[in-house]
Amino acid sequence: MAQRNQTLDRPVGIDTTAIRVREHSIERRARFRSASEPLGLLIALVILLIVFSLLNDRFLTVGNAQNILTQASIPLIVAVGATLVILLGSIDLSVEGVMGAAGMTWILLTANSRGGEGIGLWAWVIALGVALVLGLVNGLIFTALKVPSFIVTLGMWYVGLGFATILYGRDLFPRLTDPALTGWTSKLTLGLPNAFWVALLVIALGIAVVRYTRVGRVALAVGNSETIARSAGLPAFRVKVAVFAIAAVLSGLGGILATIQLDIGSPNVGSGLLFVVIPAVVIGGTNLGGGKGGILRTVLGVFLLTVLNNGLILSGVDTSWQSAVSGAILVTAIVFAAWSQRDRLGVAK
Amino acid sequence: MSATVTEASPETGAAPRARRAVIGRHAWQAIGPIVIFIAMLVVVAILTPAFIGGGGLAIIAASSAPILLLALGQSMVLNVGSIDLSNAAIALLGAILLALALGPLAAGAPIVILLVTTLFGAVNGLLVAYFQVPSFALTLGTLGIFQAASLVTSGRTTVYVSNNGQIVSTLYQSGIANVPITFWIAVVFAVLLWILMRYTRIGRGLTAIGKNESAAIFSAVRTRALKVLAFALSGFAAGIAGIVIIAQAGSASPTGLGSDLLLPAIAAALIGGTSISGGVVNPLTVIFGALTVALVPIASSAIGIPTQAQSLVYGVVIIAIVALTMSRNKSSIVK
Repeated sequence: MAQRNQTLDRPVGIDTTAIRVREHSIERRARFRSASEPLGLLIALVILLIVFSLLNDRFLTVGNAQNILTQASIPLIVAVGATLVILLGSIDLSVEGVMGAAGMTWILLTANSRGGEGIGLWAWVIALGVALVLGLVNGLIFTALKVPSFIVTLGMWYVGLGFATILYGRDLFPRLTDPALTGWTSKLTLGLPNAFWVALLVIALGIAVVRYTRVGRVALAVGNSETIARSAGLPAFRVKVAVFAIAAVLSGLGGILATIQLDIGSPNVGSGLLFVVIPAVVIGGTNLGGGKGGILRTVLGVFLLTVLNNGLILSGVDTSWQSAVSGAILVTAIVFAAWSQRDRLGVAK
Repeated sequence: MSATVTEASPETGAAPRARRAVIGRHAWQAIGPIVIFIAMLVVVAILTPAFIGGGGLAIIAASSAPILLLALGQSMVLNVGSIDLSNAAIALLGAILLALALGPLAAGAPIVILLVTTLFGAVNGLLVAYFQVPSFALTLGTLGIFQAASLVTSGRTTVYVSNNGQIVSTLYQSGIANVPITFWIAVVFAVLLWILMRYTRIGRGLTAIGKNESAAIFSAVRTRALKVLAFALSGFAAGIAGIVIIAQAGSASPTGLGSDLLLPAIAAALIGGTSISGGVVNPLTVIFGALTVALVPIASSAIGIPTQAQSLVYGVVIIAIVALTMSRNKSSIVK
């Protein structure tokens, strides 16, 4: 078009400067926003650290830092999976159920107070396999039967809990008997708790999956626009199933670590975790509609909530208030994030 | 029939068939929840005849009342394409406040509670509509705030109604056809909502938002005010649910009756044919959704499924029923 105009030596009578300026400013604002959002979180985190260390001198100690890292580990692991699912634009509510099922499977196959020698590494394989199966079922029902992920994973939450309850039976709580395993998650290796090393590994793998693998790229594309992704011939179906499977395996891993941390097997080992993980992902800035966000942001979100809880307890705030503070922060964070995008014709679900 | 149509207008021959398919889908959406409830009831009746004879239906109806009320409120919010994760927490907070207020305020207490819970819902709606934040995240946040409020107001213990308890407890103790009035209140509320959705401008506007919000804005539907209304209705329904909880139990606690109603109520709304992405709702079928959700645990113990397996059965049944009753088409995007 432009070339033909040149050959005709007659410029078109449309002035595109305004459009170009607008595009330019949108681009600049987007770049600014992608840098400023995590920065805002980091600043919030630093402010929290300063406030809490002023309130209680036990807060800013190495011991408490290790405590926070241990507390953050399991939410971090589960949140990596949750982020992947939310990047698709779906949601995984089944984490607590999957944690219960995998944790219970694992402890019953490991040396425990109900008897039995345990089968060592195979216990991990089988427990994670149980989680994998639950995740695959999630993904297959979601994609093949087109049942919204909210319902599928809501049902699977109960299924996982039920599976764990059946395994648990009517006996006493199974307790870990292997001294090498009890308290393994909070034992230190090179100054960091073991569970946190696992979390670091999971985070690194998660970032690599999103950045460099087909599954991650297609998941982002599906989250942005499934219609376009599908018409571009991307394997949306398979990737969705894979993402749900990955998320479930990570929940299962979280369940095993939570069982070690708790020292006993319980179907409710993951209780309350869902309402830490999803707010953490959202506070981190991953869009619930899919396609926007990332794992590093979620890591910041998890740390923000963990530091907050830890600091509130150390400052002597009644634990009744904790959910209110987390809730208020969640509300503030999303209002803050949505502020610049408000529009008279805007549509928010 | 189809032959005459093709003869009369060959060029529009496909239209009636398509329309009939659409009508078929709508019909299944309307009667699906009822059929599933009755089918489950028949299975239970065959396996344990004593269940139906021994007032089993009344038990199901009585225990479904709070779920039904929350499900009706939730279906209003789902219908505009949002979700309200805080409504069960509002109901519980309402119950605790009612238990505290019944002594001093007597008959005025339920009215005050309804006003307060409606206000809570409206605040949710205002934030969603005017700050344009995703309702899932927003109500997850307010859920935490309401939970903390119940813990703080109740002091983490069970709050018993000190006196004037009979004002609400009669709602549970007296009944029509052996079914407590609490259930009939919920049914009346459902009918009123049905009339609102079916015959009023407000109801059509709500559904228009759920079907296509941008189109609704361009059609001069007052989307913001209506969204606030949907959330306020959810808060109002939660307030009635709080009253029902007190009527049923005579006390309220942050971990007692009503503390785990959120997910069953969402399940009931969806089994009752409400679309999770908005634009489809029928309050009358939600009644059967709630009855089905209440039936599952009662029925599974009646037919002798061990208690440990019940949550597994519950999960499978929810997925299966929604898979059966959902409307879907080939090109639609499911999130």
